[in-house]
Amino acid sequence: MEHIYQYAWIIPFLPLLVPLLIGSGLLFFPMATKNLRRIWAFSSILLLSIVMLFSMKLAIQQINNNSIYQYLWSWTINNDFSLEFGYLIDPLTSIMSMLITTVAILVLIYSDNYMSHDQGYLRFFAYMSFFNTSMLGLVTSSNLIQIYIFWELVGMCSYLLIGFWFTRPIAANACQKAFVTNRVGDFGLLLGILGFYWITGSFEFRDLFEIFKNLINNNEVNSLFCILCAFLLFAGAVAKSAQFPLHVWLPDAMEGPTPISALIHAATMVAAGIFLVARLLPLFLILPSIMYGISFIGIITVLLGGTLALAQKDIKISLAYSTMSQLGYMMLALGMGSYRAALFHLITHAYSKALLFLGSGSLIHSMETVVGYSPNKSQNMVLMGGLTKHVPITKTSFLIGTLSLCGIPPLACFWSKDEILNDSWIYSPIFAIIAYFTAGLTAFYMFRIYLLTFEGHLNAFLKNYSGKKSSSFYSISLWGQEGLKSINQKFLLLTLLTMNKKERVSFFSKKPYQNQINGNLRKMLRSFITIIDFDNKNISAYPHESDNTMLFPLILLILFTFFIGIIGIPFNQEGIALDILTKWLTSSMNLLDSNSENSVDSYEFLINATLSVSIAFFGIFIAFLFYKPAYSSLKNFDLINLFDKRGQKRILGDKLINIIYNWSANRGYIDAFYAKFLIKGVRGLAELVSFFDRRIIDGIPNGFGVTSFFVGEGIKYVGGGRISSYLFWYFFYVSILFLFFANIQFYF
Amino acid sequence: MNYFPWLTTIVILPIFAGSLIFVFPQRGNKIIRWYTICISVLELLLITYAFCYHFQPDDPLIQLGEDYKWINFFDFHWRLGIDGLSIGPVLLTGFITTLATLAAWPVTRDSRLFHFLMLAMYSGQIGLFSSRDLLLFFIMWELELIPVYLLLSMWGGKKRLYSATKFILYTAGGSIFLLMGVLGVGLYGSNEPTLNLETLVNQSYPVSLEIIFYIGFFIAFAVKLPIIPLHTWLPDTHGEAHYSTCMLLAGILLKMGAYGLVRINMELLPHAHSIFSPSLMIIGTIQIIYAASTSPGQRNLKKRIAYSSVSHMGFIIIGISSITDTGLNGAILQIISHGFIGAALFFLAGTSYDRIRLVFLDEMGGIAIPMPKIFTLFSSFSMASLALPGMSGFIAELIVFFGLITSQKYLLIPKILITFGMAIGIILTPIYSLSMSRQMFYGYKLFNISNSFFFDSGPRELFVSTAIFLPVIGIGIYPDFVLSLSVEKVEAILSNYFYR
Repeated sequence: MEHIYQYAWIIPFLPLLVPLLIGSGLLFFPMATKNLRRIWAFSSILLLSIVMLFSMKLAIQQINNNSIYQYLWSWTINNDFSLEFGYLIDPLTSIMSMLITTVAILVLIYSDNYMSHDQGYLRFFAYMSFFNTSMLGLVTSSNLIQIYIFWELVGMCSYLLIGFWFTRPIAANACQKAFVTNRVGDFGLLLGILGFYWITGSFEFRDLFEIFKNLINNNEVNSLFCILCAFLLFAGAVAKSAQFPLHVWLPDAMEGPTPISALIHAATMVAAGIFLVARLLPLFLILPSIMYGISFIGIITVLLGGTLALAQKDIKISLAYSTMSQLGYMMLALGMGSYRAALFHLITHAYSKALLFLGSGSLIHSMETVVGYSPNKSQNMVLMGGLTKHVPITKTSFLIGTLSLCGIPPLACFWSKDEILNDSWIYSPIFAIIAYFTAGLTAFYMFRIYLLTFEGHLNAFLKNYSGKKSSSFYSISLWGQEGLKSINQKFLLLTLLTMNKKERVSFFSKKPYQNQINGNLRKMLRSFITIIDFDNKNISAYPHESDNTMLFPLILLILFTFFIGIIGIPFNQEGIALDILTKWLTSSMNLLDSNSENSVDSYEFLINATLSVSIAFFGIFIAFLFYKPAYSSLKNFDLINLFDKRGQKRILGDKLINIIYNWSANRGYIDAFYAKFLIKGVRGLAELVSFFDRRIIDGIPNGFGVTSFFVGEGIKYVGGGRISSYLFWYFFYVSILFLFFANIQFYF
Repeated sequence: MNYFPWLTTIVILPIFAGSLIFVFPQRGNKIIRWYTICISVLELLLITYAFCYHFQPDDPLIQLGEDYKWINFFDFHWRLGIDGLSIGPVLLTGFITTLATLAAWPVTRDSRLFHFLMLAMYSGQIGLFSSRDLLLFFIMWELELIPVYLLLSMWGGKKRLYSATKFILYTAGGSIFLLMGVLGVGLYGSNEPTLNLETLVNQSYPVSLEIIFYIGFFIAFAVKLPIIPLHTWLPDTHGEAHYSTCMLLAGILLKMGAYGLVRINMELLPHAHSIFSPSLMIIGTIQIIYAASTSPGQRNLKKRIAYSSVSHMGFIIIGISSITDTGLNGAILQIISHGFIGAALFFLAGTSYDRIRLVFLDEMGGIAIPMPKIFTLFSSFSMASLALPGMSGFIAELIVFFGLITSQKYLLIPKILITFGMAIGIILTPIYSLSMSRQMFYGYKLFNISNSFFFDSGPRELFVSTAIFLPVIGIGIYPDFVLSLSVEKVEAILSNYFYR
């Protein structure tokens, strides 16, 4: 079956047709292209399905006989260096391409409906297909330069898609933030690639690993330099996978349309960093300190993501932080050297998170008709609640995604997360404790999201949160922000909501303990049912379930979430533990020669599973305790006041919750820190340098010009052309000279 | 062999045809415009034809050579020729100047003179790139200054006289050093002045003299390239000039400095070049960071793009001073690539200025909805300018990086530091270029002006920018288009460094 591999180059290039055709169509026949827009969506889905079938075929081949195929073409011919283009088909590639194509197809089907009323429907599909091209190119690339190329291209797609609704200033800022943050990582990646080229003289993965191993074994290279280069390479993965110091772009990236968040910022692109580290794991394994670094960054991200997700109001931002936390788990697993567990979690998490994001997109879609099109409102969990009866199917899918992410047994994420937790016990107890603790946190915040959105009553109606009668007036149009101006400033809750996006940091850090706000905060925290006025219940529209086109991918993803765990579950056949994933990855495992024997003692497994599941249930229980909606709202109102009174006494627990809440709501103060030091620093530097440029470097020639002007004017004044003055000076000097000579003659 | 004087025809044709504009009857601008564009296209076709059929890229020697004695008494020849180094810039000149003429369609004031000057520029630029005689080089260098000065001082913005004066003073000041260098090199040694570049390549000088020559030439080219701290004429000039002039300035004139650095400083004075190259490299790194961090502080859109050009020129300096095959190839590729990208950015900035009549970035915003095509093209070119893979800027910068890495000349630590510095430029570039496009296009704004100004780019503008966009993508995907032309010549130049 050699010939299949020969045609593997179509994997990345087939989806490329769509953006090319749409682009040229929009350029030359704009009207016709816009009228036939469904055809474009259909064709992009069709092409992607072909790619999916193809990569499935490749995957089956890979499972049956593990062999690595590589094809190369030369790209630039130069005497000193030659760049090559090619593709590499190995288990990792086939897993990733399967994952990307399946999720992408579902997301494309979904977004046909989600984006159907958008003006940029075609642009969206063009970007999406281009993203698929570059992502598939990334996973099939055979050398580091190619990886860098596609790495940048997926970054650009992410930039374009975050800024898809470019009229929103927040989206404009978010996309630039994402690109620049990713550029910081790319800076590291490029330098790392160059450094390793310098050390080994190769970009090909296998040559590079071989040469590098030999060099290290023979002690021929400066180990400090190697560590620096490996660290720089890893920095690329840190930025792309939203790990700790460079994670700031991911929550802001939720400004993009929700299908984008599902595909790019949850399932595929953010996994590119994990993919890169997995790809280069043989390299990192040689340098133990880098492995420590990877697992350390991983565990920090796990904890940080978990804590930051605790008190977000925006449903997508909470999910984004949860993505970040789960990516931290994968990074941790890679740092521990358990390649298989990391990839397993990557797969299961991708499906579960895609399910969750698509579910939240469906929610947002149905909320938009009720509360308006501003993301401040339609994604705000404060305004949701009690959606179970309005959107039952979405609710089911969301619940299943939540349970899967919490790690409840039959669902996908349980298997993979349990494996990582298991391995972390072996690696280091401290890391294990943090990882288990965060598993509890995960359960807590996921159920917080679930309870706030689906239980209780629909808060959007109960609360007269804007002071206007009809919701359609003040809803901010999709293409603009001007509606914000009409908001009545007296209503504190609303100012809180609107300011949250832009001025969250300054607002909270200035007066966090001001009483009234605090009360408000607490109200929102505890019950989310602050009833101000009952009279305004004149809105008839209720959120309703999305169309079938949107529900179909959700249901498929539910199936995936249920059954994808199977590939990693060991079936005891004839005494040997054999699961598909292990079989799939055998060749890569051999390359890594670690962790190859995977003897899972079923007893031990049971104990660990019980532990993790009980921690998850504990988290869920706490979530119920906090966020269980009180159905008798009037009584609850009194209760809140009680809470407030008790809060004045500043009980320790209350304080702690406050601290955690502020920490989470301010995004761990990290954004504020960056804004204060880095952004202001760069701006200040720019001001300073341009001042220097204008005043000093430019000042010299200008000063020169001005001086010469004055000198010229002076000379002109002196030589004014008046004969009388010439005669005067002439005779003046002649007389002086005469006197002088006369004196001399007099003395001699 | 063919004996048709291709290059002389190419050099003479535009200025000759341009001087015919003045004998045209006074019958509106339209006929002059069409005439100029026809001449430009004809010239471009002529260049392409001549190079297609009479140029072998695998030959490092001078081709299409012509040699006519001009002034007998000091051995001054009309000597033209093309090799792998100059073919790229000549083609770039033909391409960009033709498009700039097309871009200058809205110019109606004094259009005879304007179009004559454009054609005169055409001749001067091609003459410079194809001259094989040192004095002829100098004369062509001076020849294209005059049209630029006039174009600036007559068709510019409000402060045009200030910037035109600044431009002419800076470049004329540089030319003095160039003239001194030319005379010094020409008169050294034998009794007869030697101005032929071929014979000069093989001449060697005492080291101290070579260093003096090197400094003289370097100052002249540093003004043109520009290299800090001699760059301040560039933002002023670009800020004021009409955008067709800007296209010529950014696309071609800056590249003359780089061309001169390779052609004269590297080829004729190899010893001095290898002495100076470490400090050049430091200057290049500083320039990348300095200009990239000056750029966000600019409020004027065109000045911001101008500083981005200055920053990109740093890569050329580093490529030239790395003294490797790869680095020099990268520098040549960067010359071509920035010629396209810079010209296109100035063109788009100019066309959007024509519509919104705002120069300062903080007053702009939200013009993406009325002008989606300009938005798309501008974002594509700012992506190209921040070196997105798949576009020409990326591959040029990557090859320069490789040149630096593979260079034998430098030690480990300086290499690391310089690579690091260059890579900081990679972070700074998206900051200014993306925030530029964000401030211009993103957001939402209601315009009080009547809607008639807000038509999207028409077919002419669309054609100009797509015509530039295609080679950018083409080179980015298959860089051998340019590299195959220059590889042999670069090798020949660098072999000097190993034989001596």
